[in-house]
Amino acid sequence: MKKFLHLLSTAALLLAGSLTCHAADSGTVKVGVLHSLSGTMAISETSLRDVLLFAFDEINAKGGVLGKKIEPVVVDGASNWPLFAEKAKQLLEVDKVAVTFGCWTSVSRKSVLPVFEKDNGLLFYPVQYEGEEESQNVIYTAEAVNQQAIPAVDYLLADGKKKFYLIGTDYVYPQTTNLVLLEYLLSKGIPIENIGGGLRKDAEGKVISAGKYTPFGHTDYQQIVAEIKQFASSGDACVINTINGDSNVPFFKEFAASGLTAADCPVASLSLSEDEFRSLPTKDLVGHLGCWAYFMSIDSKENDQFKAAFFKWLKSSTVPGIEKANRVTCSPMVLSYDGVYLWKAAVEKAGSFDVDKVRTVLQSGTITFDGPNGLNTVEKNNHTKKNVYIGETKADGQFKIVKEFSQVYPQPWLKGTFGK
Amino acid sequence: MEGVGVLFARPLLCFCGFINEMRNSSVSVILRFLAVVFLATGTSAPAMDQYEQRARALFVEAVVAPESSQSLLLENLVGSAHPCLEPFLQGWQREQIFIYQSPEGSKIPILKVEENQSVRILRVDTGEELKEASGSLAAWNPEWKAVETNSKIRRSLKNTIDLLALGSSSPSDRAAAALKLGLKQSPASLPVLESRLSQETNPSAKAAFLDAIALVSLNSENPDQRTSALQRLGESASLPARDAIKRLADDSTQPPQVSRAAREALQTIDTRIFWIDFFGTVFRGISLGSVLLIVALGLAITFGLMGVINMAHGEIMIVGGYATFVVQCVFGNGLAFAPFGLSMNIPGFGFDPSSAIYQSYFLVALPVAFLSAAATGYVLERGVIRFLYRRPLESLLATWGASLVMQQLFRLIFGPANVPVASPEWINGSLNVEGVLMNYNRLFVIVFAAAVVFGTSLLLTKTPLGLLIRAVMQDRSMAGCMGVPTTKVNTLTFSFGCGLAGLAGAFLSQIGNIGPGTGQTYIVDAFMVVVLGGVGSLTGTVLSALGIGTLDQILQTTLRNPVIGKVLVLAGLIVFLQFKPSGLFSAKSRNLEES
Amino acid sequence: MKSQISKRELVLGLVAAFGLIVVIPGLNAFTPESSPLHVSNFSINLWGQYLCLAIVAVGLDLLWGYTGLISLGQMLFFSLGGYALGMHLMLKIGRLGQYKSDLPDFMVFLGYPKLPAHWVPFAEFWFSALAVVWVPGLVALLFGYLAFRSRIRGVYFSILTQALTYAACLLFFRNELTLGGNNGFTDFKTLLGFQLADPATQRSLYIASAIALIAAYVFCRWLTLTKFGKVQRAVRDSENRVLFSGYAAANYKLFVFVAAAIISGVAGALYVPQTGIINPSQMEPSKSLEAIVWVAVGGRGTLIGPILGALGVNSLKSWATQAMPAYWPLLLGGLFMIVVIFAPRGIVGLGNQVGALLQRRKSEKTEDPAP
Repeated sequence: MKKFLHLLSTAALLLAGSLTCHAADSGTVKVGVLHSLSGTMAISETSLRDVLLFAFDEINAKGGVLGKKIEPVVVDGASNWPLFAEKAKQLLEVDKVAVTFGCWTSVSRKSVLPVFEKDNGLLFYPVQYEGEEESQNVIYTAEAVNQQAIPAVDYLLADGKKKFYLIGTDYVYPQTTNLVLLEYLLSKGIPIENIGGGLRKDAEGKVISAGKYTPFGHTDYQQIVAEIKQFASSGDACVINTINGDSNVPFFKEFAASGLTAADCPVASLSLSEDEFRSLPTKDLVGHLGCWAYFMSIDSKENDQFKAAFFKWLKSSTVPGIEKANRVTCSPMVLSYDGVYLWKAAVEKAGSFDVDKVRTVLQSGTITFDGPNGLNTVEKNNHTKKNVYIGETKADGQFKIVKEFSQVYPQPWLKGTFGK
Repeated sequence: MEGVGVLFARPLLCFCGFINEMRNSSVSVILRFLAVVFLATGTSAPAMDQYEQRARALFVEAVVAPESSQSLLLENLVGSAHPCLEPFLQGWQREQIFIYQSPEGSKIPILKVEENQSVRILRVDTGEELKEASGSLAAWNPEWKAVETNSKIRRSLKNTIDLLALGSSSPSDRAAAALKLGLKQSPASLPVLESRLSQETNPSAKAAFLDAIALVSLNSENPDQRTSALQRLGESASLPARDAIKRLADDSTQPPQVSRAAREALQTIDTRIFWIDFFGTVFRGISLGSVLLIVALGLAITFGLMGVINMAHGEIMIVGGYATFVVQCVFGNGLAFAPFGLSMNIPGFGFDPSSAIYQSYFLVALPVAFLSAAATGYVLERGVIRFLYRRPLESLLATWGASLVMQQLFRLIFGPANVPVASPEWINGSLNVEGVLMNYNRLFVIVFAAAVVFGTSLLLTKTPLGLLIRAVMQDRSMAGCMGVPTTKVNTLTFSFGCGLAGLAGAFLSQIGNIGPGTGQTYIVDAFMVVVLGGVGSLTGTVLSALGIGTLDQILQTTLRNPVIGKVLVLAGLIVFLQFKPSGLFSAKSRNLEES
Repeated sequence: MKSQISKRELVLGLVAAFGLIVVIPGLNAFTPESSPLHVSNFSINLWGQYLCLAIVAVGLDLLWGYTGLISLGQMLFFSLGGYALGMHLMLKIGRLGQYKSDLPDFMVFLGYPKLPAHWVPFAEFWFSALAVVWVPGLVALLFGYLAFRSRIRGVYFSILTQALTYAACLLFFRNELTLGGNNGFTDFKTLLGFQLADPATQRSLYIASAIALIAAYVFCRWLTLTKFGKVQRAVRDSENRVLFSGYAAANYKLFVFVAAAIISGVAGALYVPQTGIINPSQMEPSKSLEAIVWVAVGGRGTLIGPILGALGVNSLKSWATQAMPAYWPLLLGGLFMIVVIFAPRGIVGLGNQVGALLQRRKSEKTEDPAP
C-alpha cells in the first residue's frame, strides 16, 4: 500500500511538472534576465540584474514597448554553465520570452548559444569578450578585442613598456584574447622572450597558449607574483590581467604586499571595473589601468542623469537581497542598459516582437542610442560601434580617464590578421 | 667646505641658466645636477636663501602650469633642486597639493600636512601656514580639489624624486636611486655616479653605485671596460642587470672576451636566482603550510578528538572572517546591512583610518572572531551534532546540510559579494633578505600558527581540561563511567575547535577573499591535512600541513603551473594513504575497529 | 528490504515501468498541445534528465545502503561516462559548428592545428559506447583496489573519494587536457544519425533512460537476493566478522564499487545528449554530495527510495530555484539536516518510523499499571 502511494505521488509529481507553464498576460511582454545571482560570478553579475530591472521600470513608467509593459523573468544561472543552458531552454520554451539579456563569462554564453540558435531566440550580451564569434541570435553590445585589449596595449606600448606578462583565468576569453595579443605584440616588434607567463607549444612548435592561467576561484598567487616581480626587475614591464571574478582580490593583495606599485609595473586589467574594485585595497592600487567603453567618472549630461536615476531607483527598490549602499556604475552595467534601449528602438521600428524582424532592423545599421557612455550604433555584424576610454585607478576606486577613442568600429575577427 | 661649494655653485648655475634653452639635453640636466651636488655638500643656508626661494618658485610654476607642460617643468626642477622640494614632490604624488584661490585671484599652491588628527596647510612659496586675508589661519576646505596627476606627470615626479634621492640621507634610498639611474644606461650619468661614489661612505650604497656605473659601462665603446663591467656585475650578482647582460651575451658581434665575461656573469646571476627561488619557495611553502595548519587545526581537534566530521568547518572559518569585517567597520564608519529585508545599522566609532587605534582593529578582531566562531560551533553542536556522536557518517551529511544553510545565510545577510577587509598598515610590506622577499602578513601567519599550536598542545597536555578531553577521545563511554561530564566536554571541545577555525578565518581575510562561498575552497585541503597527519595527532597535523604546503609550492615552481601541483599532491596523498592508511602518526589502539 | 520478490512488488513494478516507458512518451507524442494531458517536450527532456540522476542514485544505494560505503565522488564516474559519449558527439558535429571546421569549436578558437591522437577513435559510436563502460570502470577499479586492499574504511574512504573527484575536477578544468576545459562540450547536433533537436529523438532518449533505470533497478534488486547480496549486507553490518568468516571482503567491495561506477557512467552518457552540455563542474564535490542527499532523503537500503528521492529532490530544486531562489539552499540544507537526524531511513522508511513510534506509544499505554 505504501509503495503504491509512493508511485502515485511520483506520477502526480511528473504530471504536475509538465503543467507548469501558463500563458502570458496579453498586456505585457516577457523578457528574460539570465545571470548568476550566486556562486563565484555573483560579485559581478548581480549588478547587471539590478540595472536591467531599473531599465525595465524606467521604460514601463513611460508606457512600455509598443504599448506593452515589460514583465521580467529573472533566472539564476548560479555560476554553473550547464545550469545556464537549462535556464535558457526554460526561458525560451516555457516562458517564451521575446528577448533575453544575459551572460557574463564567455563560457556561459557558449553554453547557451546552441539553445538560442536552435529555438531562434535573441540574446543581448554586454560583457567584454574575446571576439571570434558572430552568431545571428546574439547582439553583442560588449567591447570586442579591438575596443578594449588592443587600445590598452597600444597605450602601454606608447608609454615605453617592452615586456608584457600575461595572466588570466583558465577559460576561453583570456586564452583567446592572449593569443590575439601575442600576435599583435609580435607584429609590433616585441620579441617573444618579452612575453611572460609561459608559452605552450604543440608538437609542431606553434604556440597554442600564451600566459599563465589559474582556475576560477583560485586563491594562491604567491608564486605568480614572485615571478612577476622578477620579470619586472628590469623596470619596463607591465601585466595584462584577464583574471575574472573574485580571484582578483588575492592576486592584488599579494601584488600590493610584495611592494610592487603601478610605477614599477602597471597592471592593465581587462575584467576589473569600478564594481570589482570596491572589494580591493584601492589605496595600494593607484595608477593601474582599465580600458572600457564607459567609466563612472565620464563627465556628460546623460551619465549624470543615468547615475542619479539609478541610485534613486535603488533606494526605493524592493528586489530581495539587493545591495543599496556603496553602489557604483560600470561598463557592463551601462552596456546592458544600452542593450535594453537598443532593443526597444528596434522593436518599435520593426513594429513587432518577432525575432527575425527585430534582427533585420538591428542589422540595418540605423538603430542607435545615446547612452551614458556616448552614442551606440548596432552594426551589420551584430556588434556595436561606441567610444572607448582608457582610465587610471584612483585611491577612491574610481578611474581617471586619460584617453578617449571616439566611435570605434567593432572587429570581432582579429586572429591571424596582424601581418608582420 | 661650505664656502668652497657655494663658490663653485654660483658660476655653474649661471652657466646652466645660459643653456636653459636646451631643456631636453641631458648634459644640461647633469650639469645642473652637479650644481646640486656642490650645493648639497654645503650645509643648509639660514632661513631661506635664494636657492630655496628659486626652488620653491620653480615648483609653484610647475604646479600652476597647464597639464601639457607640467612634465617638462618638473624634470627641470632637478637643476634647481633643494631638499625642501622633497615633501612637495611626494605630496603631489599623493594628491596632497592643492591650489588655493586667494581673494585677489592669484593661485597659491598649498601642501596639506596631516598630523595626529590635525591638518596644517602650508604655502609652497613661503613655507608658512596659509592665512586668510584677515590674518587668521585658514581652515581646511574639503571642497578643494587636489592637483591632478597622470602617468606622464607621475613618471616625471618619479624621475625627479629619484635623482634627488641620489643625495638623500637614507643609504637605501641612495642605493635604489643609483640603480634606477644605472638601468637607464645613459653615458651622461657616469660623471654624476662617479662623483657620488667618491663621497659615498655607506658600504651597501657604495656597492649599488659601483653596479650602476658598471651597468652604464656595458654600453661603453671600449671592450675592456665592458669586460670589467661584466666582471663587476657578476661579482655582485646584480639581478636587475640580467636583461642587459643577456643582450650582450646573445650579441654575436661582441669580441670573445666580452662574450665569455657576459656568459660567466649570467651564470653567476642565474645561480643566485636559483637560490633565491629555492628559499623563496621554501618560505612560501611554510607560509602556505601555516595557513593550512591554522585551517586544519580546528578540524583536527573536532575530527580527531571527537570523531565528528564537520563539513561546515569552512563556513565556521568564514564566520571568523565576517567577524573581522564587522569589527573593522565598527572601528570605522559603521555597517549598514539588510538581512531578510530588515534594515539594520551598526554604528561605528569613526576612527581615522590612519590612526593607531584603527590600525589595532585586527588585534581586537582576533578574540571576537574566536568567540563568534565558538558560539556558532556551540549552536551547531547542541542543535545538530550531539545526536550524531555514534554515527560519524551521518555527522558528515548533517553538517554539510548545515554548511548550505550557513552559506545562504551569509549571502542573505552580507550580500553575495565578497566583503572588503583592509590590512592594517603594520602588516603591509615585506622583509628582504638577500633578495628573498618575505611578506609581513605571511610572517605573521607563521608566527601565529606556531603560537596557536603551542597553546593548543599546552592546553591538551598540561591542563585538567585537556586531560578530560583526551580521556573522552580515547573512550567516551569509559570516561563517562569514570565520572567525566562527557556532554560538557564534547560541547567545550567542539566550540574550541570551531573557535580555532574562526581565528583561521580572521587570517584568511588578510590574504584573500571573504565571501559566502570561500569556505568551500578550503575544506578539501583541510580534510586531506588531517587525514594525512593521522587523526588525533597534533604533531601529525603540523607535519602534514607543512609538508603539503611545501610540496605544493615546490611543484608549482618546478612545473610553472599553479594547478597541476595541487592535483599531483592530491594524487600523491591518495597513494600514500594506501601504504599508511591511518596517516603519519596514528593513535595506537587495541580496538579492532580502529586499527 | 524483503529477501524475496513478492507478487505485489512485481505488479507494482510492471505498472510503474509501463507508465514510464509507454504512457508518458505517448502523452507527449500523441496528444495535442492544448490538451491538459499533454506532456510538453520540455518536460520530457527534464524528466529524462531526472531519470538519469535516479540511475546514479540506485548505484549509490547499492554502494551505501547495501555495502556501507559512502562515496562522495560518484558524480566523477557519471561525468566520465558523459565525457566519453560527449567526445563522440563533438566529432559528429562535423562542419555544422560555429567555425565550419572539422575540428570541434573549442579546438578552433584555442588554435589547435589538428585533432589530437586520443580523440580519433571516438568518431566511432561503438568505441565511445565501450568507453562509457570501461573508463569509469577502470578508474573505479584502480582506486578501489588501492583503497580496499589497505582496508581504508568508513570516513577515510569517503574523504578520499571526495579528494579524487576534486582532483579530477581541477584537472579537467585545465584547457591543456584537450577536453574543452571550462567550456566543456556543447552544441551537439546528431547521435547515430538522428537529429538531437528533433522531439522524437528526445523522446527516444527519455525512453532509453527509463529502460536503463529499470534495468539498473532490476540488476541491483537481483544482486541483493543472491548470496553475494547477503555477504554484501554482512560487510555493511560488520566487516571484521566477514573477514573472520573467511570471505575476502575487499573483493566484494571492489565489485560493488566498480558496478556502481559503471551504472553511473551509463547514466552520464544518457544525460549528456539530453542536457546538451557537459563540463567539469559536474565533478565538483558539491554535486556528489547532492547525490547523497537524494539517497538519504529517499531512504537508503531500499533501492526504490533513492529513485523517489532523486526525482523528488530534483523537481523541488527546479521549482524552488525559480520560485524562491534566495531561500532554496536554506530549504535543501534544512531538509537534509532534518532527514539525517530525525529520519535516517528517509521518506520510504518514514512510514515505518511513524508506525513504530505509534506502536511504542500504544504498547506504553497498555503497559501502564492501572492506578
